[in-house]
Amino acid sequence: MISAAIFIVLEIAALAMLSRSSSKQNIWLNQLSGSVNAFLWGGGEKIRSHFMLQDQNDELVRINAELQARLQAYENAEEAAQEQAATQSLVGDSRFKYTSATIIKMSRNTAHNYIIINKGWEDGIKEQSGIISDNGVVGIITAVGRHQAYGITMMNNKLRISTKVGREGIDAPLMWDGISPDGAIVDDIPPHYEVAVGDTVRTSGYSSLFPAGIALGTTVESRLVDGSKKQIKVTLFQNFKTLHYVTVVENLEREEIMALEEQGGYQ
Amino acid sequence: MKQPWLRYLLLLCAQVLLWNFFNFSQFLMIAYLPALVLCLSLRRSSARDMILAFAFGFFCDFFCGAPLGLSSFALVAVAALRRPVIMLVMGSEVFSRGEDVSPYRQGWNKIAVTTIILTLIFLIIYVCIDSAGTRAFWVDLVKVGASLLLSTPISLYIIELLSHKQESKWK
Repeated sequence: MISAAIFIVLEIAALAMLSRSSSKQNIWLNQLSGSVNAFLWGGGEKIRSHFMLQDQNDELVRINAELQARLQAYENAEEAAQEQAATQSLVGDSRFKYTSATIIKMSRNTAHNYIIINKGWEDGIKEQSGIISDNGVVGIITAVGRHQAYGITMMNNKLRISTKVGREGIDAPLMWDGISPDGAIVDDIPPHYEVAVGDTVRTSGYSSLFPAGIALGTTVESRLVDGSKKQIKVTLFQNFKTLHYVTVVENLEREEIMALEEQGGYQ
Repeated sequence: MKQPWLRYLLLLCAQVLLWNFFNFSQFLMIAYLPALVLCLSLRRSSARDMILAFAFGFFCDFFCGAPLGLSSFALVAVAALRRPVIMLVMGSEVFSRGEDVSPYRQGWNKIAVTTIILTLIFLIIYVCIDSAGTRAFWVDLVKVGASLLLSTPISLYIIELLSHKQESKWK
């Protein structure tokens, strides 16, 4: 132990003398010292970094969550702007209130397809409001939650919409044909009315759910059913496969209309 | 000469003269200082060996005009490694019998190997520090090799001078 101490002392003394007596050795020793220091400090820093990885990971997770929240906020803002833009093109009738919404979920593969949108009663959505888009009617709201609303779509055989067909404006109900996403049938047209292929089918406005004049589709062919009525096949403008933004239309006079219907004895 | 310190002093002076006046080439240096350290008594402590080695180196550097501490640094390392090298080459019997290093007791072969190892250690340290990274590696390598070749026989002769046939007989 004493020998080791003496060895270290003597070597240090020799180096000190060497450093003072020769500038070449002095520079070299300084460089050597710098290299040793860099190695030791670098090694220490590496070890410290290794043990700080957990903290760094936690910090990265926190930053990641913060960035995701900010990104979500931007996406929400963009979505709201797109919803608003989609609604602007539909606003026309002052008796109706228009609320933009985004589809959360929509079924397309059953006979009773439904839709869920991202607006609920907190956003002013009410039951028995219509759902429309740029390309026509989408469906009807049947249930409303706080932040979401549920409805049935055109691709549901329970839904019937009052329409006007052709130049003559024949009033008849339209329903889904139950086969294709863009196929519908207008039923109960008196046989003496002539409907040309390519005529536009529009909402009549009689149902109090939808404003009048919303283009739904064009007629494809007509046929006589049971010899007493005509049935017209319609190709809808609505493309349910690409649908993402919708507008909920609420008839502001609906309650008054219903009250009148009640008074008049219509149920 | 019965006084060993006087022999050491004279040999140190000879080493100084050698370094001052017999610089044949930059690729060559004759160094038998490791042999002087090797011949120090093994019955004394290694701390004493290192202090003496430091003094030998300082003496040579001082009178040669070399950077002070250069030889001391290399020679202290040689003194520190002397006993492990002796144990490696000659075995631990040298220490258990309380012998000194002598070719008449341990044989020339073992003495030569020990001398080569210690001289090599000295030259490597000395040449590397003297170079201080300013010379090419191959120059240092050639210098170490050539110096070792020349210094080893001289060192063996010095060892013989420092050993006494009469005193080195088997006890």
